[in-house]
Amino acid sequence: MGHAAMIGPGAPAVGGPNDLDALLYPPDALPYKPGRVREYTLTAVDKEIEIAPGVFFPAWTYNGTVPGPVIRATEGDTLRVNFINAGSHPHTIHFHGIHPTNMDGVFEIVPPGGRFAYEFEATPYGMQLYHCHATPLKKHIHKGLYGALIIDPKEPRALAQELVMVMNGYDTDGDGANNFYTVNGRTFYYARYPIRVKRSELVRLYLVNLTEFDLINSFHLHAAFFRYYPTGSSDQFEYTDTVMQCQGQRGILEIEFAEVGTYMFHAHQSEFTELGWMGFFEVVE
Amino acid sequence: MVTEATSRSGFGWRLLPLAPILLLALVVGAFVSGGSSVVDLIGKNPPPPDLFDIQRVEFAPREIRIRVRNPQPEELTVASVTIDDAIVPFTLDGPATLKRLRASTIVVAYDWVENEPIAVGVTSSTGIETVSEVPAAVETPSASARGFFGYAVIGFLVGVVPIALGLLWLPSLRRADPKWLAAFMALTGGLLSFLAVESLSEAFTLQAQLPGALGGSGLVLLGVALSALGMTFLSSRLARGRAGAAGLGLALLVAIGIGVHNLGEGLAIGTSFAFGELQLGTFLIVGFMIHNVTEGLGIAAPATEARRVSFAQLIGLATIAGAPAILGAWIGGYASNDVLGVLFFGAAAGAALQVVVEVGRFVARRAPGGLRSGWVIGGYLAGILAMYVTGLFVG
Repeated sequence: MGHAAMIGPGAPAVGGPNDLDALLYPPDALPYKPGRVREYTLTAVDKEIEIAPGVFFPAWTYNGTVPGPVIRATEGDTLRVNFINAGSHPHTIHFHGIHPTNMDGVFEIVPPGGRFAYEFEATPYGMQLYHCHATPLKKHIHKGLYGALIIDPKEPRALAQELVMVMNGYDTDGDGANNFYTVNGRTFYYARYPIRVKRSELVRLYLVNLTEFDLINSFHLHAAFFRYYPTGSSDQFEYTDTVMQCQGQRGILEIEFAEVGTYMFHAHQSEFTELGWMGFFEVVE
Repeated sequence: MVTEATSRSGFGWRLLPLAPILLLALVVGAFVSGGSSVVDLIGKNPPPPDLFDIQRVEFAPREIRIRVRNPQPEELTVASVTIDDAIVPFTLDGPATLKRLRASTIVVAYDWVENEPIAVGVTSSTGIETVSEVPAAVETPSASARGFFGYAVIGFLVGVVPIALGLLWLPSLRRADPKWLAAFMALTGGLLSFLAVESLSEAFTLQAQLPGALGGSGLVLLGVALSALGMTFLSSRLARGRAGAAGLGLALLVAIGIGVHNLGEGLAIGTSFAFGELQLGTFLIVGFMIHNVTEGLGIAAPATEARRVSFAQLIGLATIAGAPAILGAWIGGYASNDVLGVLFFGAAAGAALQVVVEVGRFVARRAPGGLRSGWVIGGYLAGILAMYVTGLFVG
């Protein structure tokens, strides 16, 4: 009993050890270069995904995963996102950040079979996010249309082992309350496969909350403290081991692990923890 | 004409009745092989509800056992289990994917807290969660000799004892005026009417909780019909060619009718207690005793007609009417089954109704003034009232 039963093979998680690498490890940051265009293609597709062992969720996805792919640009880049709607409902992409209102993903509803090219300057630097803004909003978000958008400052950040975590929930029985909670889309995935990091290197974690229905979600790290930069758009930080975010809130955590060992992390809402939102860092030399 | 018809009664003609069945098989075969094409003409089938039927939640030290059944035509898979909204590791005693009406037992290692409410959730592969809320977690009694004896004592106390005590009114009844006797016979009819309605209501309540596939109201009717017909057969045997059962024969019928009811009552007590839904306190047991003592009176009234009733016969009557409560308590405590519950209570209603008819006939024949006499009407209403008022003790 206890959490010992919920680590390694005992943890009820779907899939193999590297399935979520593309969501956990962001693309590399590029140094600032004037006039550069960063181009991404996002396709909305309806897809049934396995979120917990044997439990399937009829999701609406960007590029087939929940959350969608991590988009990254450097402040000043032109960000061009080609959006193709291959789903069965009208969708959009609404980015958080500063951009012209006609690129806001609110007025240009893209019908099934349609496409739209979002183009704007990436600013301000920090941890941003994107999600569908078609109505009903609650449905379009909780079905899985969201992801992380990282905008790097022109002055590069210190070298670090970088990770992305998108906190979410799934209401599988349609009663307006979540049945499962995860980071990066699968229950207990990082309990089954702890995230391996090096003790000697800074860990930078990009964290965002896209949980629907619940007012807040949170992140709590065991046995260590971190610097929390709300939104990651300034040097202001809080030194703590627990942060909470409402939906759409995000921030950057910088952790220096002092010792090797297994460090637990989870939502500090016990219910979320026990419904899938729990994992471990495996800190090695 | 007649000879012509009989000459046709060859082998081929005897097979003729099979023709509709064979044709039906052909039509059904054609329809089934067509898949959903016929349904597609009118629209699309909604997805199955994917809800489990959680039959039993049992508590053992550091372990919870959940018996689930698939109540729907489509297969249903146990994918995830939660206790109090927390995902827990589990093992399955039986298959994970359940065919129609198949059941499995989910075993969860869990430190449950005694006497506290607990919610058990079973999620299907489509993410639909079925939750069963247990009002208070208490260790489920296992079949120990002690518990077995305990249920027997409870059944004896609420069934046999009060009925035997009620039968002791027999000597007083024998000395009573015929008008009074008619009133007591009518009282028997009243209390049996009460039991019939009560049993029927219980049967319908239980069947409403059953998955639709398991019959529902048809099952209640089956119970009623089986016992009513059985009792009719028995009563015609007991009447031995006379107009209707009387004396000890009628007393026996009344005892059987009450006995079937007490089987259901014992079952309900046993089941509710085993699942921590019922506190079998002193007050409740005393309540049942007061409630059931009137049943003894009901058996005694027709027995006054018999010239001589031996002590052994009295004990026999009390046992027939009361001992089924013991059997019911055992079944309820160890092998509760909702289908059985519906059948038992349906049977109780059928038996009681049949005996009401029997008693009615008897009263119509023997009572001074027949069914319309004030004594009879008063007695009948008193019977219903007595059951209602004493029933408040167990409410």
